[in-house]
Amino acid sequence: MTEASPKRPNFLTRHGMLIFVVTLAILFPFIVGLIEGQSPATVIASEGGNSKFLMGLAVEVFILALFALSYDVLLGITGLLSFGHQMFFAVGAYGSGIMLKSLGWSLPLTLLGILVLAILQALLFGVVLPRVHGITFALVTLGIASMFWIVIQSPDVGDWTGGDVGLQGASSLVPAWINTNDHRFRFYLMALAVLVLFYLVFRRIVSSPTGAVMVANRENQDRALMLGYNTLWFKMFALVITSIAAAIAGMLWTMHQPIVTPTVAGLGWVVAALLMVLMGGIGTLTGAIIGAAMFRLLSFYLERWFGGGASLMLGVTYVLLVLFLPYGIVGTWRLKQARVSEGRKRLVALVTGKGG
Amino acid sequence: MTEALLRTENLTKEVGALVAVDDVSISIGAGTLHSVIGPNGAGKTTLLNLLSGTLKPTEGRVYYKGDDITRVPVYDMIHRGIGRSFQITNIFPFLTVFENVRLAAQATGSDNFKFWRTAASFPDYTTRARSVLEDVGLADESLIPANALPHGDQRKLELAMILAPNPDVLLLDEPTAGMASEQVPELVDLISRIQAGTDKTVVLVEHNMNVVMNASDRITVMNHGSVLAEGSPSDIAANEVVQEAYLGSLYEEGPE
Repeated sequence: MTEASPKRPNFLTRHGMLIFVVTLAILFPFIVGLIEGQSPATVIASEGGNSKFLMGLAVEVFILALFALSYDVLLGITGLLSFGHQMFFAVGAYGSGIMLKSLGWSLPLTLLGILVLAILQALLFGVVLPRVHGITFALVTLGIASMFWIVIQSPDVGDWTGGDVGLQGASSLVPAWINTNDHRFRFYLMALAVLVLFYLVFRRIVSSPTGAVMVANRENQDRALMLGYNTLWFKMFALVITSIAAAIAGMLWTMHQPIVTPTVAGLGWVVAALLMVLMGGIGTLTGAIIGAAMFRLLSFYLERWFGGGASLMLGVTYVLLVLFLPYGIVGTWRLKQARVSEGRKRLVALVTGKGG
Repeated sequence: MTEALLRTENLTKEVGALVAVDDVSISIGAGTLHSVIGPNGAGKTTLLNLLSGTLKPTEGRVYYKGDDITRVPVYDMIHRGIGRSFQITNIFPFLTVFENVRLAAQATGSDNFKFWRTAASFPDYTTRARSVLEDVGLADESLIPANALPHGDQRKLELAMILAPNPDVLLLDEPTAGMASEQVPELVDLISRIQAGTDKTVVLVEHNMNVVMNASDRITVMNHGSVLAEGSPSDIAANEVVQEAYLGSLYEEGPE
């Protein structure tokens, strides 16, 4: 028997990496403050300076990471190719903006409203799920999302959505104690906490019986059906949970940005998610987060340093990454690790004369 | 003859102009090993697809325990107690051997949507998967990816995946297909041992007549989509029409 039921590693070994990264993320504004000569008190008060600015950039990374994470669960885990995922995000962004601004709802009520909308839009996608598969599903979802993209820019709803200019000023309606301008450090911690929460939830789901069937659906849908799984319900489940995550990401976006533009409802937004997932490593979850960080930071710094030439350099970077790391950063790294441990096993077998 | 567990009535499947299965009415007794043999293109696999719900017939019905199951969706079959394997190995290639079988065991449980617990925390499925892998002789390979198995072992995995949910009826589509000839008796022996030991009903589709002669309780011979003969192995062995069909097909191999 190959499985000698190894002793369960202790808490620190299992979660060490996560704890390390989260601690680093919490300390990050203070480290920046230290370099800039800001006292920790000023960093916490978020009065300004580079630490406030970089916290703002990091919040964007967290939000994009949550969006990419949800796309990875849908595409990388469940095997559902959707080109309408931007709508999941945009409904969260525009929905919360309208609820805060036009309807004058409180933040908790807005959150509740977004959860309801997220489930409803997932069900809308679910309606076409039994009828279309593969690339057809991608195109149908793109069609639905494009309709949404057109509608929000229409002058008829301009009072609510801001038309093609965008929805402005919703973030200032967020209560001061968690407002991104008044208390950037709190908002930063909150966004980080939301990302970590969704990451942990998704990681658990992937390792659950439900996640096992989602993976089976990705690997060989016909066989999953034959084994006795009505895969429709598992795909539906994936749509609902990823819609919730994407809509929450959209809501955070609205709370953080002075203006929400129709860009977040466009095809470019889902392509961005696809890029983040591919760069980080599809189906790895952590890869989506690393990919989002690379995506946002690369585009920000390349633009700052090189101005107009930045988009060309970005394009070249993506091509090189996909060319040389076809499984993404995390995917390739895991493959290397597996090969190293395989090689080690072989070496041990060779030396001890026992079969690996 | 024992009471029929699985029964077809005038089952017909037309694929374009071709009648792949033509007016087939057979009865499969509970607890028997019933083989369906015939030359290439005789309609054996199509018949199995109709029995397992993968295909829906043009005409005719399938009854299981007296219920009409002709239009039952394919994912419902195992929950009724009917499992099937495939002639062309149909597994989850990048999952481990163990996970392939564990998934098969999980399917008939009621924990599929317990997404807040890890799959490893359901011992029912993990122990079931281990014991089935033990039965088919793949216990030592349980942690390697399924596509890294040699072909013969993939056939065993296919068998393990159908055994894991413990169905009453096993529909096996050429379980020995593509296996090295010295491995074939071992697998057939395994199947007949499982069938005898658990009182399961097995429908075994085979191309090679010799493989099933000793193991079967009853044999149906098909040719050109219809039933040519049915009876005990000794009846079939003595049947001249069958001999002719088989010898004929040896010289002019029909289309696959």
